[in-house]
Amino acid sequence: MVSSISLSIDSDLDKVSLLARAVRALCEDLLSPEDQDAVELSLVEAINNVIKHGYHGERGKDVQVAVGLQADQVMIEVIDHAPPMPAQVLDKASEDAFAFDETDLADIPEGGMGLALIRMNMDEVEYHSSESENRLRMVKRIDQRSR
Amino acid sequence: MLSTDLRGNILVIRVEEKRIDASKAPAFKEKMTQCIEAGQNQIVLDLSHVEFIDSSGLGALVSCLKRLGPRGSLAVAGATGAVSRLFTLTRMDRVFALHPNVDAAVEQLSA
Repeated sequence: MVSSISLSIDSDLDKVSLLARAVRALCEDLLSPEDQDAVELSLVEAINNVIKHGYHGERGKDVQVAVGLQADQVMIEVIDHAPPMPAQVLDKASEDAFAFDETDLADIPEGGMGLALIRMNMDEVEYHSSESENRLRMVKRIDQRSR
Repeated sequence: MLSTDLRGNILVIRVEEKRIDASKAPAFKEKMTQCIEAGQNQIVLDLSHVEFIDSSGLGALVSCLKRLGPRGSLAVAGATGAVSRLFTLTRMDRVFALHPNVDAAVEQLSA
């Protein structure tokens, strides 16, 4: 079984939840509730990054999401036409973002957590930029035992 | 977005939204900050109606904690599912005291 669908929204933070809920519903029969949470959070973080950092909050720009449902995995691509993110930003994002000193208020992060969360929640994360577009490809493997 | 209930010197703030995401985080932070600036420094945040928080929402919570400063308390009550898992995943469960419900949180802060 392979099926795919493309969805798109305007670069407006108010519209991100619509898209996230739609994609979550698509994954309902394939993923456990915990894995649906992981996919929904990763997608929201990815789109927020595009709108806030790629398009600098400007509305009226295009954000596309391609969802591929396969027997063994859910593949989600977030496609935008903003200036690309520097490659090392994704490479450096890791759970180290949360290795803060909880006894030191100033050390607790208020931002910069999105990409780390995506990497912690998805099984594969890749970023490709070409002259025409940027693609963040995220894969969640389907755990056959949990179904 | 928020409703409040004063229990002794503890302010219980209930979030009436299902999602605290990047579109809601700025207004959420502003309303929380107003409560803090009004002099409340013992706060229980009731998240039992909230189904989803992203890193912007979590960042807003951290910002409120910093605004409260070391002498204030911000306890979280009623976080379940994806919300509770986000606290654990980001290790923010070491920063915010998580309680199963408002009564338990109020009792802990009053002790």
